[in-house]
Amino acid sequence: MTSALLTSFLALMCSGLPVALAMAGASLLYVMISGNVPDYVVIHRMVNGIDSFPLLAVPFFIMAGNLMNSAGITNRIYNFALALVGWLKGGLGHVNVIGSVIFAGMSGTAIADAAGLGTIEIKAMTDHGYPKEFSVGVTAASATLGPIIPPSLPFVIYAMFANVSIGQLFLAGIIPGAVMAILMMFTVAYFAHKNNWGRDTAFSLSKVGKAVLELVVVVGFPTAIWFATEAGTDPTWTFFAAMAVLLGADYFFRFNAVLPIMTPVLLIGGMTSGIFTATEGAIAACVWALFLGKVWYRTMSWKMLVKVSMDTIETTATVLLIVAAASIFGWLLTVTKVTDAVAAAVLAYTHNPAMFLLLANLLMLFVGCFLEPTAAITILVPILLPICHQLGIDPIHFGLVMVLNLMIGLLHPPMGMVLFVLARVAKLSVERTTIAILPWLVPLLGSLILITYVPEIALWLPRKFFPQ
Amino acid sequence: MSTHAPDISNEAEHVLGADGEFHVTDEPIDLSVYRFEDWVAFGFFWVLAATVFYQFFTRYALNDSAGWTEEIARYLLICIVFVGASVSVRKNTHIHVDIFYRFMPAPMARAISTAVDFVRVLFLGYCIYLTWLLMGKIGRQSMAVIDWPIGMIYAVVMFGFTLMCFRAVMIAIKHWRQGYSVLERPETAGSDEA
Repeated sequence: MTSALLTSFLALMCSGLPVALAMAGASLLYVMISGNVPDYVVIHRMVNGIDSFPLLAVPFFIMAGNLMNSAGITNRIYNFALALVGWLKGGLGHVNVIGSVIFAGMSGTAIADAAGLGTIEIKAMTDHGYPKEFSVGVTAASATLGPIIPPSLPFVIYAMFANVSIGQLFLAGIIPGAVMAILMMFTVAYFAHKNNWGRDTAFSLSKVGKAVLELVVVVGFPTAIWFATEAGTDPTWTFFAAMAVLLGADYFFRFNAVLPIMTPVLLIGGMTSGIFTATEGAIAACVWALFLGKVWYRTMSWKMLVKVSMDTIETTATVLLIVAAASIFGWLLTVTKVTDAVAAAVLAYTHNPAMFLLLANLLMLFVGCFLEPTAAITILVPILLPICHQLGIDPIHFGLVMVLNLMIGLLHPPMGMVLFVLARVAKLSVERTTIAILPWLVPLLGSLILITYVPEIALWLPRKFFPQ
Repeated sequence: MSTHAPDISNEAEHVLGADGEFHVTDEPIDLSVYRFEDWVAFGFFWVLAATVFYQFFTRYALNDSAGWTEEIARYLLICIVFVGASVSVRKNTHIHVDIFYRFMPAPMARAISTAVDFVRVLFLGYCIYLTWLLMGKIGRQSMAVIDWPIGMIYAVVMFGFTLMCFRAVMIAIKHWRQGYSVLERPETAGSDEA
C-alpha cells in the first residue's frame, strides 16, 4: 500500500506525464484509495505548499536574471571578460568561464545560461577558429556555475524544503563556485597548451589595467561602506552616498561592467548584513536590473520588458507547480513512512557519513541525468535529509553537494538537458556533443569530490558570517 | 523554460567584431505569440510586482511595513502559478521525462503518449471539480489580515485548472491529428509544431 504511492509516481513520471502532474496524480490516487482524508485535500495542500513568503524570491530572481540577459548588458560583461583574460592563451575559453561566473552572480539557472549565453559564446569561439567541440565543452561546464554562485534558484527551493537559511546557502556557494571556475580555467589552459593555441587579443596593459580597476571598484564599494559604518556613520546615508559616488564614477569613467557585476555584491552584502531577506534581495536585484536597463544604459525596450515578464511567468509557474505538487507528495511520503523505511534501509547498510555521501552522490548524479534540478530537489530532500541529520552531515553542506550533483547531471551523458540545448545551439549531433563534454567532467567531478569531502570549502564563509 | 535568445540569424556577422568588442543584438520580439492566459498572468505578475515594491518602499523609506502587502503578495503568487501553468500546458513545456521513449518501439510510444494526453486531461478536469468542492468547504472563511473570503483565491485556482484542462484538450487533439507528440519527438519542444 505504501509502496503504491512511490510506484504509481514513478510509473506516471516515466511514461512522460509532466513531473508536477505525476506527483499530484499519484498523491490523488493514494488519497482516493486509502480514503483516510477527503480527496480535495490534495488541492488544499498544493495551494498551501506555495503560500509562502520566501517563495516570492523565485519569480524575482528569475526576472533579475532574464533582465540581465539582454544584449545591452551581455556585451558589457563579455567586453570586460575579454579585457581581463582575452590575452591569455586560449583566450576566449577563459572569457567563457569568467563571463559565466559574472552571469552566475546575476541569474540562478543553468539552462537559461546555457541557452542564452551559450549561443553567443559558441558563435564567438567558432568565428575565432576554435573547434566546436571545445566551445561546447567549456560552455556546458561553465553553465553549471549558474546555480552554485549566488543567487540561485535551486538553493531557494532546497532551503525551503530542507528548512535552512537561504542566506547561508548563498554564502556557502561562493567559494565552491570559485574553486570550480579555477579548475575550469586550468582545463582551458591545458587544452590551449596541448593544441598550441594563441591569444585572441593582444596584451594591452591599459585594457587589462582598466578591467582590474573595475574589479577593485566592485570589491572596494562594500569594503568602503563597511569601514564607514564601523567608523560610526549612519548606514542608510552612507549607502546612498556611496551609491551616488559609484554612479558618478560610472558616468565619468564609462566603466564596462562595474554596475552589472555589483548585483551579487549588493545582494549578498544586503543579505549577510541583515538589511534584507532573500525575497527583498530578489526584488532589489530586479529593481537594480530595471534601473540599469531602462534608466542608466537605456538598452531595454518596453517590448523586451513584456517578453522578459512572460518568460519569468512561464518559468515561475513550471517550477512552482512542481513545488506545489511536491508539498502534497512529500507530505504523503512522510506520513506513510516511506522516508523512514528508506532511512532505515540505508542506515542498516552504512553508518559512515563518507560512505553515505558517496552513495548519495551516485544517486543524485543518476537522478540529475533525467530530472530537472528543482523537481529532483523536491523529491530527494524529504528522502535524503533525515539520513543526513542522523549521520551529522550539515544540511547546508549537503545542499551544496546536492545542487552541484544535479547540475553535473544536467550535462552528463547520455541524458543531460544542457547537453541537448547545446547540441541544438551548436548544431552538433548529440553523440558528438557527448564526446565534447566528456573531458570537462574531469574538473567538474574533481570539484564535486573536493566539495563533498572537504565541507569547509562550503561551510567556512557561512560560519564566519552566521556564527552559531 | 525560455529566455530571450540573441539574434544570430546572420551567419556572416561576427558577435565578436574586428574591433575586439562584442556586438550582440537581441532577437526581434514578437508579442503576438502571447494568448489570453499569458496576459491574465501578466496582469497578476505586475500587480504582484507593484505590491512587493510598495512593501519594500514602506519598510525602508517609511520604516512602517504595510501588513496586508505580504498576504496579498502570497496570494498573487498562487494566482500566477496556477494561471501561468496553463501557458506551459499550451506550449507543452512542463518539465517531463522523455528518456524512455528513446528505447520504445514506435507503436508503443504512440500508445503511451496518447495515454499520457488522456490522463492529463482527466486529471486536470478532476482538479477543477476538486477545487469546486474545496471552495464549498472553506471558501467562505476570511483571509488572515484582510477581511475577504479565501474563496476568491480558490476561484482563480479553479480558473487556472480550467485553462490548463482546456489547453490539454487542445494539445491532445493536436497530437492525435498530427500523429506524434513532443514526447516522441523531443526536438519539437517549445516550437509551434509541438
